[in-house]
Amino acid sequence: MSKIKLLIVAVVLACSAALTVVYSGIVNVAADEPHGDLVYWLLEQTRENSIKKAAKDIDVPDLTNPELLLTGGVDYEFMCSSCHLAPGQKQSDMSVGLYPAPPNLTLVAEGHKGHEHGDEAQSARKHFWVIKHGIKASGMPAWGKTHDDDRIWAMVAFLKRLPTLTKEEYQILTAID
Amino acid sequence: MNTLTKMALVLIPTLTLSLTATAHDPKLHAKKAEKADCSKMDHSKMDMKDPVAMAMMKKCMKQAKKAKATKAEMDHSKMKMKKSLKKESEHH
Repeated sequence: MSKIKLLIVAVVLACSAALTVVYSGIVNVAADEPHGDLVYWLLEQTRENSIKKAAKDIDVPDLTNPELLLTGGVDYEFMCSSCHLAPGQKQSDMSVGLYPAPPNLTLVAEGHKGHEHGDEAQSARKHFWVIKHGIKASGMPAWGKTHDDDRIWAMVAFLKRLPTLTKEEYQILTAID
Repeated sequence: MNTLTKMALVLIPTLTLSLTATAHDPKLHAKKAEKADCSKMDHSKMDMKDPVAMAMMKKCMKQAKKAKATKAEMDHSKMKMKKSLKKESEHH
C-alpha cells in the first residue's frame, strides 16, 4: 500500500514540476539560443529514428532520368535553396537564422555532422519522406500537401546530384524554361 | 591599461558588429526567374552519358529552339520604325 502511495506522490510531483515548467515561461524558445547538448542529442536521436522507421518501406524508383533533374532543379531553386543553399553559397538569412540549422545540401553526405545517411537507397528514402512530410518545429514544411510524389522524387533525384554540381551546371539546371 | 588599448577594445567590436550589419545584401531576398546561361557550357568537358550533361543539353536545346521560334515569328515588315513614327506625329 505504501508503495502505491509513494508512486502516486511521485506522479503528482512529476506532473506539478512539468506544469510549473510549462506555465512559468522559464523555457527559452528563442531560435538564437541553442539547446543544451543533452536536449539537442535527445531531439536529434528522436528525429533520426522516427524518419528511419517511417521511411523504411518506401520503394525508390529509378532516379537516373535526366528529365527528373530539370523538374527537381527548378523546384529546388524556388522551394529549398534559400535554406539548404546552392553551389558556391556559404550561408543565407535562413541558414543562419533557423534553429536547428538546415543542412547544407550542396555538401556531400560526409559533410553533414551528427547523423548517418546510410546507403544511396536509404538516403533517397529519407529525403523523400522528409520533403513529403516535413519535420515538426524545425521550419521544414510538408511539401507533400501541395506536390505529388513524382514531383518529390524529382527533387530527390536532384538532391542526389547536387553536391557534384558546379555553379554553372546548377544555374542551367535550375533556370526556368 | 593605456588609452590605445582602451580605444582598441571599444572600436574593434563596434566596427566588427557594424560591418556585419552592413554586409547584409537586400538582393538576397529577391528571387528572380532566370534563363539558363548556356554560353558557359563546356562541351569538351562533358560526359554525354551523364544525366546532368543530358539534362543541361536538353534545357539549352529547348531554350535555343524557343529563341529561334520567337525570332521567326517577328515580322519586320509590319513593325513601325522610328522614322515612320516621327512622320505620324508630325501629321497630328
